[in-house]
Amino acid sequence: MEALEAVLLGVPLTLLVTGASLSIGVVLGVPLVMGLRSRNMPIRSACRYTVNLLRGIPAIVWLFIIYFGVSIGAFQFDAISAAIIGLGLISAAYMAEIYRGGISAVHAGQWEAGHALGVSDWTTFSRIVGPQALRVSIPSMTSYAISLIKDSSIASTIGVTEIVFFTTQDARSGGGGLTVYLLAAAVYVAMCIPLGLLSRKLDSSLRKKVSR
Amino acid sequence: MSFITDWLDWFPTLFDGLLLSLQITGLSLLLGLPVGLLLAVFASSRNALVRGICVGVVEISRGAPALVVLQLFYFGLPSTGITLSSFTAGFAALALTTAAFTSEILRAGLQAVPAGEIEACQTLGVSRLDTLRFVVIPQGLRIALPALMGFAILIFQATSLCFTIAVPELLSQAYSIGSSTFKYFSVLALAGLLYAAVTIPATWLVGVTEKRMSRHLTLAH
Amino acid sequence: MDASQRAQPMVSLRGVSKNYGERTIFSDVNLDVSPGEVMAVIGPSGAGKSTLLRCINFLEEPTSGQITLGGRTIRAGEGVSGRDVQALRRKAGMVFQHFNLFPHMSVLDNVSFAQMRVLKRSREDANKRSLALLDRVGLADFAGSYPARCSGGQQQRIAIARALAMDPEVMLFDEPTSALDPEVGLEVLAVMKELASDGMTMIIVTHEMGFARDVSDTLVVMADGKIIEHGDPRQILSEPNHDRTRLFLRAVLGR
Ligand SMILES: Nc1ncnc2c1ncn2[C@@H]1O[C@H](COP(=O)(O)OP(=O)(O)OP(=O)(O)O)[C@@H](O)[C@H]1O
Ligand SMILES: [Mg+2]
Repeated sequence: MEALEAVLLGVPLTLLVTGASLSIGVVLGVPLVMGLRSRNMPIRSACRYTVNLLRGIPAIVWLFIIYFGVSIGAFQFDAISAAIIGLGLISAAYMAEIYRGGISAVHAGQWEAGHALGVSDWTTFSRIVGPQALRVSIPSMTSYAISLIKDSSIASTIGVTEIVFFTTQDARSGGGGLTVYLLAAAVYVAMCIPLGLLSRKLDSSLRKKVSR
Repeated sequence: MSFITDWLDWFPTLFDGLLLSLQITGLSLLLGLPVGLLLAVFASSRNALVRGICVGVVEISRGAPALVVLQLFYFGLPSTGITLSSFTAGFAALALTTAAFTSEILRAGLQAVPAGEIEACQTLGVSRLDTLRFVVIPQGLRIALPALMGFAILIFQATSLCFTIAVPELLSQAYSIGSSTFKYFSVLALAGLLYAAVTIPATWLVGVTEKRMSRHLTLAH
Repeated sequence: MDASQRAQPMVSLRGVSKNYGERTIFSDVNLDVSPGEVMAVIGPSGAGKSTLLRCINFLEEPTSGQITLGGRTIRAGEGVSGRDVQALRRKAGMVFQHFNLFPHMSVLDNVSFAQMRVLKRSREDANKRSLALLDRVGLADFAGSYPARCSGGQQQRIAIARALAMDPEVMLFDEPTSALDPEVGLEVLAVMKELASDGMTMIIVTHEMGFARDVSDTLVVMADGKIIEHGDPRQILSEPNHDRTRLFLRAVLGR
């Protein structure tokens, strides 16, 4: 029972880190995908390199760089901010790719229809293609959110007191190490189940809409 | 430009770490993929118990963060009397994660094999086992290849988690250099670039494979 | 005809019915096919022609009734054993609308694979037989290529060779030419015609009225879950007994 308490103690910060970095990703992903689709070559390649580096370097390395590596004068990030910024930037890269997939899934005819009606590129994007792309992206976004809940556990390595932090603490101090970890696993599974159900439901309802 | 001389100094140590990371990746895949294939095949077993066990194993090991599985193997198992070295714990945990995730990828690949070919086997009197072995698995593997390669990249990145159980892989090496020189940014950046030097070309290769596969598949129909 | 009619039928269906859940596709179908007989099955889309054909070799299990094929009888619904189904299927070769070749095997391997795994022929024997069959369908030169490199008509002829390699006593065809361009379809029909003249027992679901009239010995018309006509093709095509048949023929023949 004590073990369960220890594990549950970490839930608020797990949710905070996940929620905050997901929000950053969802928002920053938009300019990033626009950069990826830009007709301006330097902007396009700069965004491509950014996305590749963000996705190509393990999250834990990013967190270490931000937490241990960045010091501006006497300023250093505290662990929670470092975790949120690091995971948020990585999420932005993944979101940009998800949005890109969504945009290319929207039929090219939609762009043409916009052009034929004399609507500007921006309006076509924001009013016609964007909303459809977002709808197509939602299942991938939910599954990314699920993996982000799990990846947020990495924040424990820089001392954020989320689930794994307390779990390890308890396992090292107490006796029955295995139980705490199994409990931690169960808590993660339990947190992911609602999102998994949601994604499955969204997926099938979207499929119906598309196949109609 | 002192960081250049630093980088040159550190490079051999970090490179050793990188080799260890790659080694853990290879072992995890070598052990995890066959188990993943078994799980994928038995997940569509006609026996409800077998199916249930497979789905259970897969869901739990996919549902828990790799970090938890890793620490469970290293810090948790000793309480049951099983003590693994950090290296063994590391690749065993990543192999389990590999098995769980690849079983889903492989299942999707196996299901993508056209039902008509399986019917053709039935009408030819080919046994279920032979149908799996000669028709479904070879094609399913091929269909799943790009996704499997993509997953291999993720597992390579996940080897960095072995830092937490003191396996001297790339990140551990960088961190220990950082803690003795306090040049965290510089050494971690170099480590990051070494990771990227593997993952970015590998991602590109996945893209190429994907394109080639889709060309083959359209040719076949 | 008289002699073959009196002989033991090669295929015989007794009271065969098929439901999908609540829905009845066909019920109480009785049908005999004599050795060497070529039977064409026509009818509107959704009449259950494919389902009937697939019931004959238990690709779909009939809901009730009994099926005899080459002397082996299976009664539906009472714990049909996999072994019996296997034995029955061995006597029937099947050719599908979409060929269903194995795209990862060479043409030769497509034809040899089941011979080696099921009939336990050596690779040498199997390949010899495969080459002879490929030669018979005019594709000996393609043995080393892959199905994707072959045209639809060639693929269907390979599929026929693959089925023949198992030495079936009956061949079942489900719209073998309807996925093909008309000209290419002719190559396949030519192969089938030759097979018929060699005395193979064949059941062919088809939309090719010309083929049904000229090649088949008997014609079956299916509609609304029943067999509504069964007899001489020319007779049925020129003077059908049922209005339903007339309606269908007018639609397909455009008159
Ligand atoms: N697995 C299934 N589940 C439910 N209904 C099915 C299934 N397979 C076929 N049906 C239904 O059975 C009916 C008969 O199908 P079948 O394919 O046998 O028709 P058909 O005569 O071969 O038509 P076509 O000429 O279009 O090939 C159809 O209405 C179809 O919707
Ligand atoms: Mg049909």
